[in-house]
Order: sequence, then C-alpha cells, then structure tokens
Amino acid sequence: MRFLKFVAALAAAALLHFAGARLLPNFSLAVDLFLLVVALEARHGNPVAGMFAGLAAGLLADGLSGGPFGLYGFADTAVGFGIARAAQQLVVQRTSSLAGVFAAGAAAQQAILAALALVFRDHAELPDPLWLLVKVATTAFLGVAWTASANAVASRLKFRRANRATKIQLPG
Amino acid sequence: MSPGRVRLLFILLLVGQLFLIAAQEPDRGGAGSLLEGAALRSLGPFARAVDASSQGLQSAREGLRRRDDLAAENRRMRQELLELRRRELRMEGLEQEIEGLSKTLTFQRRHSTELRIAEVVYADYSSWLRSLVLYVGTGAARRNQPVLSDDGLVGRVIRISGAYAKVQLLTDRAASAGVQLQRSRRQGVVRGSSPGELLLDFIPRQADVEVGETVLTAGIDGVYPRGIRVGVVASVEPGSEVFHRIVVKPAVDFSRLSFVYLLEGELVPPELLSEGESAVP
Repeated sequence: MRFLKFVAALAAAALLHFAGARLLPNFSLAVDLFLLVVALEARHGNPVAGMFAGLAAGLLADGLSGGPFGLYGFADTAVGFGIARAAQQLVVQRTSSLAGVFAAGAAAQQAILAALALVFRDHAELPDPLWLLVKVATTAFLGVAWTASANAVASRLKFRRANRATKIQLPG
Repeated sequence: MSPGRVRLLFILLLVGQLFLIAAQEPDRGGAGSLLEGAALRSLGPFARAVDASSQGLQSAREGLRRRDDLAAENRRMRQELLELRRRELRMEGLEQEIEGLSKTLTFQRRHSTELRIAEVVYADYSSWLRSLVLYVGTGAARRNQPVLSDDGLVGRVIRISGAYAKVQLLTDRAASAGVQLQRSRRQGVVRGSSPGELLLDFIPRQADVEVGETVLTAGIDGVYPRGIRVGVVASVEPGSEVFHRIVVKPAVDFSRLSFVYLLEGELVPPELLSEGESAVP
C-alpha cells in the first residue's frame, strides 16, 4: 500500500512538474517535486525506504535533465538516506524542525549535484545562489504544508471514525 | 535489516551510481543509456499528456478571444503564402542555376535539407542542466541529428528512446558548434554559456567583427551543416592576447519552442568515420 502511494506520488509529481514547467519558465529552478516526494517518504525514518525512494525519484529526474544520467539518482539516494537517518535520531514533529529537515535535504541535494557536475562535466555550471535559496525555501514550505494538511486530514478521519464508533455503541 | 547492512547497501548504491555516471563519458552507451531510455519512455507520455491538454486549453482560449481577428489573419496569411510561393519559385530557379554550375565544376552537392517536424513535450531551458524532450513519432530520430526551429539552430539529439528524443541545447555548457561570421567569413567555435547567451571562441584579434553580425554554422564539425542561423554578435571585447571575447545572442528563443525540425541525412558518411569514432562537436 505504501509502495503504491509512493508510485502515485511520483506520478503526481511528474504531472505537476510538466504542468509547472509549461506555465512558469523558471519552475524547475524553483521547485523539485521529485525531491519533495523523496523527503516525504524518508521522513518516516526508514533508511532503506528512503534511499530506494531517492534512487527511483532521482533516476526519473535524470531522465529529464540534460546532464549525465545518474546525477540526480546519486544525490537523491544520499538525501533520502540522510533524511531517514535524521528522522530516526531527531524529533521532527515540530514545524520548525520539519522545515529544517526539508530545507537541509534540498541544500544537500544541490551541493551534491554541484560537486558531481564539477567532477563529471566539462565546463560545469554551478546553480545560481539566489535560485538555490528559492529551491531550499520552496521545498521547506511545500514539505511543511503537505505534512500539515495530511495530518489535518488524518486527524479529521480519525475523529470521524471515533465519533461513528461512539454513536454505534451508544444505543446498546 | 541491521544498521550495518543498511549502511553497506547505501554505500553500494552510491558506488554503483558513480560507476554508472563515469561509464557514460565520453560515450553515452551501456547500462546508463538503458536506464535513461526507460526513464524517458516512462515520463514521456506524462509530458505529452500535459502538453496536449495545455495546448488544447490555450487554443480554446485563443479561439474565443481572437475570433474576430481570424478573418483578417486569414487574409494576411494568404498574402504571405502567395509571397512565399513566389520566393520558392525564385529559389528553385537559383537552385537549378547552382546545380548547373556545380555540374560544370564537377562538384557533387550534398542534399541534406529534408526536415521532419517534432513536437516539444518538455523544455527546461533555464536550469543549469538544460534539456528539451521531443515527441518524434514513429519515424525514429538518430543520435547527433541537428534540431532546428524557424529561427535557427536549437541543438542536437543526444538520446533516443522509442518515440521520444532528448536534445542537447546549443546553450548547454557542454555543447559547441563550428560557426562562421557571415560578413567577415571568419570561422570559430560557439559554445553554451549562461542561459540565453553563447560564447564565440577562436576569432583572432585582428579580425574585424561588428556587433549585430550574423553567425551561421560553418559545416566543419561533422554534425551541423553549413549555413544555419546560430545568432547575432551581441558584444565584442578584447579577450586574451590572441582572440576576441565575443558574446552571441542565440537566434532561437528557447522559451517559445513548441515545434522543431529534425534535419534528415547523415552529414558525414559512416564509411568515412573510423571505428569507434563519432562526429560529436
């Protein structure tokens, strides 16, 4: 079930990525939805799931990028593993710490990509610092927003279920 | 799984991917290409669906807004068509004249002007790993095939996967092409620089280069044929002691590409290339 959710999230990320790239010329500079899916999966604290989520999402992102195939795969695998390890050892329930984890994940991904590009690409171009900050901020914001809304929906469902169970029990 | 095994698996995955990246350069073949092809094939239909729906919405909106202008536009386009037909006739005459002259000089001209249309389904021209994904349909594209738009040179095909092809844009840092300045006839190499500009190298300081001068492909790199518009000279500065530092503004506005053309025909016959050699700029 969780695997299917992850695949659905990747498909949704791909669709939104294409729609965003068509609407806004700088969309791919500002947002990385594939990384967001990896971070959301990894924050549950399972390093194996985190790294494989990173591998899958990264290789998909590589399919679209103009660089050597595997740059995003490598970076997202490391980020997925790193976020999962961080989630195991830190309390990432508070909004600020959650935002910090997402932001650190995005910053780490860009740093790894830049390092790999310097090693494997001729005339490597580094990401613009301004757009790097924008990407870090959007990843943190979208990650926190998604987690908050998912939590709100989950608690509402839980409340509804509990309420229904109470109503069923009362007449007895 | 024990933490030690998880760590080992993590290291193996990273090392495996490093090998995958390293194995692609300079020849992009092998496992990396297979995986890349699979990624491109699986994402291509998504890109195409988004592209088709956005185009549908756009054309519906345009249709409603510009209904009144359509008749006037139709008339204008008819006139343009007539003018183009006249020009085509004149060009045919010139073509025959050149053919005749070539025969006289016993020089066999190469015909590589056949164009095939391809649909742009994904364009990322702004990020630092720029790319363009095309839907080429049933007729397969080939690696290093030149890609053009109405305005000029776009780039070359670097990866084909089924009906989809990935294009290296001319503005990519790893891209380059042999070019010629139209007025001064000096030849140099143009390469990708920051988004929206190109750098023209190897033009000597003593060459007289003017801002606004047109830059065309020179047909010397084995990939792009001669005479395709690349851009115009935007600035000329004294670079090193030997060469100018010339910035070229691309002829193509990459943000407005929805259709491109693939140039058919091999530029360099395969029998002229030695084994393992490819005509890559």
